[in-house]
Amino acid sequence: MDYVQTLIMAFISVVIVNNLVLTKFLGICPYLGVSGRLDMAFGMGMAVTFVITLSGTLTWMLDFYVLSNSALAVYGLGVTRYVCFILVIAGAVQLVEMYMRKFFPPLYESFGIFLPLITTNCAILGLCLFLRIWEVNTLVKAVVMSFGAGIGFTLAICIMAGIRESLRTADVPNTLKGAPITLITAGLLSLAFMAFSGMIK
Amino acid sequence: MRSIKHFIEQSWLLITAAFLCGLLLALTNAALEPRIQRIEIGEMYDKMKSLMPQADKFEKVIPQAEIAGNPTDVYEAIDKNKQVLGFSFVGTGYGFADQIKLVIAVNADASKLLGFDVLYSNETPGFGSRMTENWFRQQFVDAPTGTLELIKSGQADKEKDQILALSGATVTSTAVVNIFNNHIGALKKLLKEKGLIQ
Amino acid sequence: MAAEVNEINLGRTFTAGIWEQNPVFRLLLGMCPTLAVTAAVKPALTMSLCVTFVLLCSNISVSLMRNLLKPHLRILMFTLMIATFVTIADLFLKAYAPDMSRALGPYVALIIVNCIIIGRAEACASKNNLIVSITDALGMSVGFTFALCVLSSVRELLGAGTIFGYPVLSNGWFTPWLSISLPGGAFLTLGLLLGLINVITKRNK
Repeated sequence: MDYVQTLIMAFISVVIVNNLVLTKFLGICPYLGVSGRLDMAFGMGMAVTFVITLSGTLTWMLDFYVLSNSALAVYGLGVTRYVCFILVIAGAVQLVEMYMRKFFPPLYESFGIFLPLITTNCAILGLCLFLRIWEVNTLVKAVVMSFGAGIGFTLAICIMAGIRESLRTADVPNTLKGAPITLITAGLLSLAFMAFSGMIK
Repeated sequence: MRSIKHFIEQSWLLITAAFLCGLLLALTNAALEPRIQRIEIGEMYDKMKSLMPQADKFEKVIPQAEIAGNPTDVYEAIDKNKQVLGFSFVGTGYGFADQIKLVIAVNADASKLLGFDVLYSNETPGFGSRMTENWFRQQFVDAPTGTLELIKSGQADKEKDQILALSGATVTSTAVVNIFNNHIGALKKLLKEKGLIQ
Repeated sequence: MAAEVNEINLGRTFTAGIWEQNPVFRLLLGMCPTLAVTAAVKPALTMSLCVTFVLLCSNISVSLMRNLLKPHLRILMFTLMIATFVTIADLFLKAYAPDMSRALGPYVALIIVNCIIIGRAEACASKNNLIVSITDALGMSVGFTFALCVLSSVRELLGAGTIFGYPVLSNGWFTPWLSISLPGGAFLTLGLLLGLINVITKRNK
């Protein structure tokens, strides 16, 4: 029970307390670009969740079993960490896209177009690096936290999409239309989310 | 399946580049690794030395000790006359939004704390980050190695095992006190088991 | 005649990176490090130095092998080389500026996925010769440094009253506005700066 509680705490910490977009500044480019409409935002969020869970798990396994703790690690394999991470991420995304286009065409229609964009998304590589910084030691915790990161991104982007849809009918000054007002909204959202800090002891 | 020739024709550049990049990385790593190692170990040693200035060297007596769930190395501080000055280790806890890593020192018979120094933290600037201030850290020097209690309002006659919290940074102060409470008891038990203290 | 045209083009390429096509303010690329490291000026300058190094190396290497690239493998090639250069930059930071390395944290590694570098490799270096690529890299780097300096000076000045660690606004009459050093403040400052730039460009039209 204690173990499950740790996992739930880890999940909540990544979704709300350490939300990747609003506190760690990851994934800003798609956040600004795709958050115009709620359905596109949700599609992007789902795509990111899928890719982030997959690549977070794969890179964590690679890092834990090969690059850091194995017999090969003494040869200083750790220096190839970033190269390996990004190649695993790019490869995984490519394979997923091909697989999805062949076997699940309707799914591909709904969010497959975002997949190539996601490879260079800071959030994916950022999460893999944060999994190292947070010293995640077990596979289950890595999977849970990767999934949580994706859910957190979806949460943030859907909130932003909802606000932006309302902003379209609001009286925004001309110079602030577009990216500036989105950033200001993100800033206010980030301040609001700060209220969750300290929730996890 | 296309032939091997086609495969090589398409990807020879990629494979060559991969080899060259690997070589470049290996060379840079070989050149800079000793310096990086020295810096990483040096920082922890500096902080331990600042807590116990008379220490001449630090010996790792319990590698990867399982205290409070995080494996950490326990060091013994020895002065010039080969006397044991105390023990120190790195205690980890969770602060406002990120980890807090403290270098903690206790005296030779683990009856009193010798204080702490911050190895890593990412607390709110101006609030939690003030845990590095002298008046806050001084409260932990000469405190007993029992359970510490956090108090909110200051009294001049507070007990030795009470710690006054940072104003506006309750979470960070609680985190620091919790790191002590989680680690010190387990450390004392471990040191007794290993016969390093009575 | 051709030499003159070439020089004008070079000059224009250089200045484009600084103002018209400023990667942060106009192209809106590379937002992640811009917001993350600009709480103070010193990390911002360190980050721009790293980005300059990686952008230069990447543009040079891509430009040198632009005729050998296979179209469907080129992104992989770019990524591989950029990752190598970023790892080298990270190792140098860890060895010679460990406190900056700790302040920047994982954001140095995130230069790999920084849209600026892959974007310039794709748009410019893979199509132009060595000189143009170097000029473009330098122009973009100067623009990036400029953007980061502006943002970080505002945030550090208002958030802590210091610039580069030197106290500028004394504590007497000025209370530091702490929330600007927080993530929320980063978004707000960048949004307002972008609005300001819109005002300036509209006025110049």
